[in-house]
Amino acid sequence: MSGPALSWLTHGAVLLFSLLGFACLALAMIRHQEDLFGAALRPHATRCVRVAGWLLLLLALGLAVSGLGWSFGLTAYSGHTSVAAGLVFIMLVVLNRRRGR
Amino acid sequence: MDVKKTFRARVDALLVMSSKEQAKSRGIRQSMSDLHIWAGLLVGWILYSMFLTGTTAYFREEITRYMRPELVAAVPPPAAQVVPRVLESIRTQSPVTTQVSITLPTERKPFASAFWRDPQAPGRGFHNGVFDAQTGQALQVRATQGGDFFYAFHFNFHYMSAIWGRWIAGFCAMFMLVAIISGVITHKKIFTDFFTFRWSKGQRSWLDAHAGLSVLGLPFHFMITWSGLITLMVMYMPFGLQALPSQADRTAVNSEIRFFMPAGKPSGELAELRPLAPLVQQAAQRWGVDNVGAVQINNPGDAAARVVIVRQQAQRISTTPHYIMFDGVSGEMLQSKDSSGPAATTQGVLYGLHLGRFADIVTRWLYFLVSLAGTVMVGTGLVLWTVKRRARLPDSEKPYFGFRVVERLNIAAIAGLSVSMTSFFWFNRLLPLDMVQRAAWEIHGFFIVWAGTLIWAMVRPAKRAWMELFWLAAILLALLPVLNVFTTDRHLLHSLRQSDWLFVGFDLTMLVFAALHAYLAVRTARHRPRAKSARRKGVATRQDAVSLDRLTPGERT
Repeated sequence: MSGPALSWLTHGAVLLFSLLGFACLALAMIRHQEDLFGAALRPHATRCVRVAGWLLLLLALGLAVSGLGWSFGLTAYSGHTSVAAGLVFIMLVVLNRRRGR
Repeated sequence: MDVKKTFRARVDALLVMSSKEQAKSRGIRQSMSDLHIWAGLLVGWILYSMFLTGTTAYFREEITRYMRPELVAAVPPPAAQVVPRVLESIRTQSPVTTQVSITLPTERKPFASAFWRDPQAPGRGFHNGVFDAQTGQALQVRATQGGDFFYAFHFNFHYMSAIWGRWIAGFCAMFMLVAIISGVITHKKIFTDFFTFRWSKGQRSWLDAHAGLSVLGLPFHFMITWSGLITLMVMYMPFGLQALPSQADRTAVNSEIRFFMPAGKPSGELAELRPLAPLVQQAAQRWGVDNVGAVQINNPGDAAARVVIVRQQAQRISTTPHYIMFDGVSGEMLQSKDSSGPAATTQGVLYGLHLGRFADIVTRWLYFLVSLAGTVMVGTGLVLWTVKRRARLPDSEKPYFGFRVVERLNIAAIAGLSVSMTSFFWFNRLLPLDMVQRAAWEIHGFFIVWAGTLIWAMVRPAKRAWMELFWLAAILLALLPVLNVFTTDRHLLHSLRQSDWLFVGFDLTMLVFAALHAYLAVRTARHRPRAKSARRKGVATRQDAVSLDRLTPGERT
C-alpha cells in the first residue's frame, strides 16, 4: 500500500478506536449509565467497560505510533483523542435530548 | 450588666471563630476561582482574537491560496530545476542583487516564492514575489497578505511595532497559563463530570460547556499556551544571552535555534556563480527529493558568493535548522548542520508543535478543530462572567457600568470578530485589483468593520446586538461562496468538477460556519432571561422573612 493511503488508514483507525475507547469510558460512569439505561450497571460490568475503554485507547496509541512514528504519531494521537472525546460528548448530549423529549 | 457583657463577648468570640472557619473553607479553591475569573476576564478579549486568528493560521497557506484565486496550481518540477530558473528571472530583473532567498514549492503551496535585496533600490531595498515553478517567471497576483495577516496578527497585532505586539501577546499568554492551571484546580470536578452537559440550565449549561471544552482539549490548550511563550522566550527572557561575553557567542547560540545568515561583505572581485542544480541535487540526495525547503544565495557574481540550502520544516517537528553551505564559486561544501544541542532542540520541538508545519492534512484539521475548541472555551468563559452576574443584578434593565462594559466588549470581541474576519475575505474579492496599497486596505477594512461592530454593540440593546451581528456574520459567510461565482472563475461547482479540494473545502467550511452563526443567532433570539426565577427567589426570601418574623425569638436558630 502506498504511503499516503496507509497514513489515511492509520488516522481513520486511530480515530475509530479513540471513539470506541471514550464511548466505553463514558459508559463506565454511573451518571451516564443512569441517563442511558435508566439504572446503574453491575460493578463487574462497569469495571469491564472501563478496562475495555482504556485498552482501546492504548490500542489507538499503538496504532498511531507504529503507523506515523513516535513524534508525528503522538501529536496526531493527542488530536484524535481530543476530537473523539468531543464527539462522544456531543453524542451523549444528543441522546439525552432525544430521550428528554 | 455583667451577664450581658459576658454574653456579648461570647457571641463576638463565636463570630470571630466562624469567620475564621469560613476563611478556611473558602480555601485554595475559592482563591483559585477568583484568580481564574479575573485573570481570564482581563485579557479574555485579546486572547479570544489571538486564539481565533491563530486557529485559522493552521490553514495559513490555504487561506493565501484562496485569496489569490487567479493562481492555479500545477505539479511543480524538482527543486534542482526550480532554483536556477527563479534565480535567473530575479537576476534579470535586478542584476546587482546581493542576496536572494528562494522558498521552494510544497504540496500546500505549489509556487516558488522569493525575496531579494537590491542595494540600488531606495530604503532597505527588499523585494518579494511569487514565481511559476515551471518557468521561473514572476506571477501576476493581486496584492494581499492572505493568511499571513491572521498569522501575524495572532502575535504581532497591527498598527504597533512588532515588539510591543509580542510583549502584549506574551503577557496575555502568561495570564492564559495562569487561567488554565487555576481553572483545573477550581473545577476539580471537571474530571468526574467528564462528558456531562446539562442542557438549557442557564449558568449550569454555560459552565458545563466551558469546562467540557477545556478538558477535552486540555493537552492542546496547555501545550499551545506554554509553547507560545517558549516561541518568544529569547525575547521575553534575554538575560542568559546577554550574559554571554561576545556577539559571536550570541550569534552561535542563535544559529542553533534558527537559520539566519546575513549576506556578509562582498570581496569586490567578480566571479561567475556556479550552476546551482548540482548543489541542490546534492542536498536532495542527503535529505530526500521533496525535502529541500529553501535556497539562499549571498553575493551572487562575487568571489565571496555563498549558497546555503535549507532543509524543509514539514518533515520533522523541531524547527531547529538543518542546512548545507557551499562556496558559490568553487562549489565546495563549507559547512553542514544536521543537529542542535538539547536546549535548542527542546525549544525547537515546542516551537514546532506550536506551529504545526509538519502536520499532514488530517493532523492539520485536528489542530484546527481542537484550537477552535480553545477559542470557544475562551468565548464561553467571557460570556459566563456576564451570565453569572446577570442573575444577581438588582435591576436587569439598568446594569452597573462594569457589567455593561464587559457585555459590550464581549459582543464586539466574539460576534464582531466573526463579522470582521469574514469581511477581510470580502474585501479581498471586492477591492479593485489595481488599487494603490491594496493589501494594506484589505487589512484597514478588517479593522474598520471590527470597530463598526464595537460601535454597534454599544448603541444597540445587548441581546439585539448579539443577534444582529451573528446574523450578519452568518449572511456574510454564507454568501462568500456566492460572491466567488461573480468575482472569480473558481466557484463551488467548478471546484467540484476540477476536484480542487482546497476551494471545495474552503467554500464548504464557510457554509458550515454560516450555519453555526445562524444557530447561535436563533438560540440568542429564543433565549428568555431567567427574570422569573429571580423574582420567584425574591418572593421566596420575603416569605422566608415573614415566616421568620412570625417565629418567636426563642424559636429562631
